[in-house]
Amino acid sequence: MSNLAILPILLPLLAGIITAFIHKKTKLVRSFSQITAVINLIVVGYVFMTIRSQGTIVLEVGSWEAPFGIVLVGDLLAAVLVLTTNIIGVAAVFFAPKSLTEKEESFYFYSFFFLLIAGVSGAFLTGDLFNLFVFFEVLLMASYGLIVLGNGKAQLRESIKYVLINLFSSMLFVTTISFLYSVVGTVNMAQIAQRVQEVEQQGILTTIGILLFFVFATKAAVFPLYYWLPRPYSAPNAVVSALFGALLTKVGIYSILRTFTLMFNQEVDMTHTLFIYLAALTMIFGVIGALSTHNVKLIVAYNIIPAVGFMLMGIGIFSEVSLSGTVYYLIHDMIIKAALFILAGATVYVAGTSDLRKMGGLIHHYPVLGWMMFLASLVLAGIPPFSGFIGKLQLIRGAVGQGEVMIVIVALISSLLILFSMIRIFIRGFWGDKTDIPRPDRKEKGSRMVYPAVFLLTLSVLLGVGAEWFFPVVESIAQYLMDPEIYIDSVLKE
Amino acid sequence: MEFIMAVLAGILFTTGVYNLLQKQLLRIIIGTGLISHGAHLFILTMGELKRGAPPVLTEGIEKYTDPLPQALILTSIVISFGVTSLLLVLAYRAAKINGTDNMEQLRGNDYE
Amino acid sequence: MLVAVLLPFILAVFIPFLSRWKEKLHPGFFVTLVPVVIFIYFVRHIGSGFEPVVQEYSWIPSLGINMVFHLDGLSLLFVLLISGIGALVAFYSIYYLHKSEQLGHFYVYFLIFMGSMLGVVLSDNVFALYSFWEFTSLSSFLLIGFWNYKQESRYGALKSMLITVFGGLSLLGALIFMSELTNTTSIRAMIDQQQLVLNSEYFPLILSLLLLGAFTKSAQFPFHIWLPDAMEAPTPVSAYLHSATMVKAGIYLVARYSPMLSSSEWFFIIVSTAGIVTLCWGSYMAVRQTDLKGILAFSTISQLGMIMAMLGFGTKAAVFGAVFHILNHATFKGSLFMVAGIIDHETGTRDIRRLGGLMTYLPITATLAVFASFSMAGVPLPFLNGFYSKEMFFESSLHLEASAAGFSGFMMSVIPYLAVLGSIFTFVYSMYFFFGTFRGRAKIDQLPKKPHEAPIGMLVSPMILVAGVIIIGLFPFLVNGSFIAHAAEAVKGTALEEKHITFWHGIIPPFVMSLTVVVFGAILAISRKGWTPVYNFLPGRLSLNKFYDGLVDRTERYSGVITKGYMNGSLGRYVRLILAAILIVSFAFMALTGGFTVDTSNLSRITAPEIAVAVTMVLAAIGTALTNNRIAAILILGVVGYGLSMLFVLYRAPDLALTQLIVETVTVALFLLVFYHLPKLKKKDQPMSTQVLNVIISVGFGALMTMVAISAHSSKWFDSISEYFVKNSYKLGGGDNIVNVILVDFRGLDTLFEIVVLGIAAMAIYGLIRLKKPKEDE
Repeated sequence: MSNLAILPILLPLLAGIITAFIHKKTKLVRSFSQITAVINLIVVGYVFMTIRSQGTIVLEVGSWEAPFGIVLVGDLLAAVLVLTTNIIGVAAVFFAPKSLTEKEESFYFYSFFFLLIAGVSGAFLTGDLFNLFVFFEVLLMASYGLIVLGNGKAQLRESIKYVLINLFSSMLFVTTISFLYSVVGTVNMAQIAQRVQEVEQQGILTTIGILLFFVFATKAAVFPLYYWLPRPYSAPNAVVSALFGALLTKVGIYSILRTFTLMFNQEVDMTHTLFIYLAALTMIFGVIGALSTHNVKLIVAYNIIPAVGFMLMGIGIFSEVSLSGTVYYLIHDMIIKAALFILAGATVYVAGTSDLRKMGGLIHHYPVLGWMMFLASLVLAGIPPFSGFIGKLQLIRGAVGQGEVMIVIVALISSLLILFSMIRIFIRGFWGDKTDIPRPDRKEKGSRMVYPAVFLLTLSVLLGVGAEWFFPVVESIAQYLMDPEIYIDSVLKE
Repeated sequence: MEFIMAVLAGILFTTGVYNLLQKQLLRIIIGTGLISHGAHLFILTMGELKRGAPPVLTEGIEKYTDPLPQALILTSIVISFGVTSLLLVLAYRAAKINGTDNMEQLRGNDYE
Repeated sequence: MLVAVLLPFILAVFIPFLSRWKEKLHPGFFVTLVPVVIFIYFVRHIGSGFEPVVQEYSWIPSLGINMVFHLDGLSLLFVLLISGIGALVAFYSIYYLHKSEQLGHFYVYFLIFMGSMLGVVLSDNVFALYSFWEFTSLSSFLLIGFWNYKQESRYGALKSMLITVFGGLSLLGALIFMSELTNTTSIRAMIDQQQLVLNSEYFPLILSLLLLGAFTKSAQFPFHIWLPDAMEAPTPVSAYLHSATMVKAGIYLVARYSPMLSSSEWFFIIVSTAGIVTLCWGSYMAVRQTDLKGILAFSTISQLGMIMAMLGFGTKAAVFGAVFHILNHATFKGSLFMVAGIIDHETGTRDIRRLGGLMTYLPITATLAVFASFSMAGVPLPFLNGFYSKEMFFESSLHLEASAAGFSGFMMSVIPYLAVLGSIFTFVYSMYFFFGTFRGRAKIDQLPKKPHEAPIGMLVSPMILVAGVIIIGLFPFLVNGSFIAHAAEAVKGTALEEKHITFWHGIIPPFVMSLTVVVFGAILAISRKGWTPVYNFLPGRLSLNKFYDGLVDRTERYSGVITKGYMNGSLGRYVRLILAAILIVSFAFMALTGGFTVDTSNLSRITAPEIAVAVTMVLAAIGTALTNNRIAAILILGVVGYGLSMLFVLYRAPDLALTQLIVETVTVALFLLVFYHLPKLKKKDQPMSTQVLNVIISVGFGALMTMVAISAHSSKWFDSISEYFVKNSYKLGGGDNIVNVILVDFRGLDTLFEIVVLGIAAMAIYGLIRLKKPKEDE
């Protein structure tokens, strides 16, 4: 039974390898990938249901007992995130043929895709810090493969920056792991947590914790470490942007969430206060960025940043309510970012330009696309009763509960500006005179590009209106996160 | 000795970061190389140095140096190698297509 | 009640299908049915024996978000307004909107609005209320942008959305604060525990956030600027949303929370001031408008100010007057908007300067307009409902119940004068609206269309409303005890003794005030032309609008400036900023937590070979930074790598040494291969300051890592798990080489994925080299 925990990693790994061998037969690899992605989603759904009903699954890989071997910890948080990842995977794999050229598809897109999913799932599931590093590298390497796919001029230029920043943070990561190993003598996360609690003098551990935070914060795009993000995310193909926007920063946020609830929870006054301030700055500078440009894809890319601020805010406030907000927001944000990038990609494609100032009146030709964009803007801005609202509500409740008034005000103003930045796309790009259709040759394909986004947005709406079905899960995750003993006990079996 | 090694690794980081802050791609990539060397040296130093035999089981020897950091370094070396190779090829392609390897000229604008 | 609220939403789903046959049957007929049904459903509650009704449906109980509908007197008043006016407007729109318009869209927005508005006034759950609240803003946005090919429509839509959503978010903030303080999500429960809110340290914040929400929605000064631009919406929408219902949501909110807030002196000061200022400003501004709908928009603003002011006064008489005026305003303003729509429809213009003398062409419309505009002016005639509530306003302004000290004392003394002043302008613009349009010299040949009386369908709705004006005027008791009193009671929170509404009280101060208004108003109205320079003297509306435009414009422009300032695409800049942040924060934390510790007890001996290798590596590392020869730089990097591999040998890591040796060789070869094709290294051409910064950052970073490393090494508090590997490597792993056993067995998963990483790298490199981008997309 515990072997279930490795399935979400193993299946995409195998799929990635198989697609690598059949990469030249585009049609075959395409249908194979679509079928596999759906099967994978079903399997992951089953894993999720199992974990939900029977509790955390701990797999000691190779049967080497914890803390000596590597453990995979399939707790509810990991399961939920893996499930969301695979939902996005399905949307992306069906969007891919519409967004990529056949040539690009045949150059290992599907292999990179599956290995990215494997890496992301592994990062969510692993209970070993060094293994987390390895999975980070897997997902990063796959992302490198994806970001250069197509070899565009701008793409390559932005790729270099992206690779370099990530390479640097990886090196910092692995060094920091060794520092931590020196102090606590282990790389197993549960054991680290256990040993950290026993230490009286937290000084060096807090410093190491902060270094680790910066490693993850660079990936998560927290202020002031997000500079690298917007352009590399908007440069590649839409499907790649969607995957990046939905998954990569979220792995960073997840890692912060995990490490700072499980391991570094001793000096909350200092570390978590820092997080609150950084969260506020992240939101402010993120929305400022989103308002600064007329490039549709960049607007969406910048909007990743304030969302990160929201999630970090919950970690900083560090209460059950606020953590439930962070987790809900995390799930919501993965889905909506994928949808938004798909929509932005479709918009740019049908308009033939990414410059809002050159668009107008698109809604007369692409009503579905236009309304989906409108809906997505509302979801993103946290208008009730959609999914963004539930997370935001819990986050603000948590902040009010702890008397953090400043962040409440910042969060509310950011929400308004997020809506403003997005509604500009709708007003300037979609409203307007019924002009001649731009690029009539793209009408048919452009209209079909919307459907994966419709699928994701339906989920977003469900996550909001039907929050009663999902929230109890998130609430139990939040309770679980506030009590690291459960995690430690389930891994070390004491 | 550990402290000296820590200082050495620190200097590798310093020179690495310094190179990373330059404009030309070659220097930048050399910088990343230095940083990964520094990182690996740090990992090694974090296990205790020279506290026993090489970690190959030999009859009659009880004390071995810490094998775990070594295993971690091996993994990391291989991964860094993969990334560096990719980066080199990427740099080559980007420099060819964009006609320069000066990162200050590779800033780009928003609409492409 | 759930069905009543959901009914519009449900029909909205079907509208797109119904509107397919719009050539045969106008979808407006279906839409009209909905509010009629709702009206009939709720109208049965009218009567003196009314008792509040509560119905609960659970929605997201784990978050305390439920559909709890609470029908009290205040809600009932609003529900009847929403459904009643809604039915009339929907019917009117059938004749107003031509079949060639996008009727499907229009009615979907219209129904969404209606449902949301019902939700706002019926919800007892604050988050349900907030949800509906935002939806009214959004549907208003879409309706204003209905003719979105017009630049003005887009501008107005965005403006209304930004201002009302801004207010909505403040409201959300206030609601969350209140719900956290009282630990409930029910408005009734909050009011029951009002002391928890009133005595909280956050009370000033809560009050300001809540009132921001109300003032933005109800277009109170200085947030009123969105309403005139909202007139870009089709006229039925203006009549419905931007006069009778949505803009009254803010009023509703203040009224709803009155039982809790009115005991606060700040509530009195802020709300009364905002109301009175809005009243005066709106009525003054209305006089200078030239667009009929512009006049009505500012008139709406001023009337809303008057209601708001009465709620701020908070006395029994004032609250009664406020509630009564909500009803009266809806009747006369709704009909006036419809009249304006008819004129626009029949003459092709709404510019009052081009209109005049229409009395003979549109006699019925003109008759309706007489009653409505005179009622709005508060002319003391026994068949105009506007007079009654206006007189209550005067009366209550004379009997304020606030502490006579300080600012509220000052306000008590000036409010009656301001009330009269605002009402004089109200009188002026009412006369201006009527006489400017219907009397005077007709300029028929200059109109885009030849005017004639509107079709009967268009006249029915305003007729019904004007009938309301007259009936309420003649028989105020019809609405008094049966439901106005219940509404006032809900606002005050206590039972009110029956207030008797009569026309004639004798020569009492309020009547004198009314007469003053009529006399001065008449003089000003007759001589209006002469005063035009005075009206146009203050650039009032312009300046506030300029402020808004400037704010929006600057937000975009400065975000551009700020963002382009640091996000300039320069990698060096990014890395410098990132590293500087890491450095500052990490050093700060190390200093604050006393994280830097040195313990020299557990160190190995220093030997010469190691020192020699170390010195070589240092020199080589520095050399890479100094040399300008690329081959040399690459080779020196190789020296560092080989040095590292020497160290691995010295530190008894044979496997590492070998691996490092091979990897370094291959890497150097690759470097040489690639950089053979790339430009030569140049002399450093960065400015001196940047170079100094680079040195500081890089030295700082190296120092940070070294210090953390030394501290970490000095704090080995636990036994390493490596003991286990040493013990079990052979026994369980079956290998002598412990490192190898760890790699392939204990931590086999790492190794598996390490290979995966290499594999992906290979594929990516292959793609980089082989995939050529087709030229056309570049």
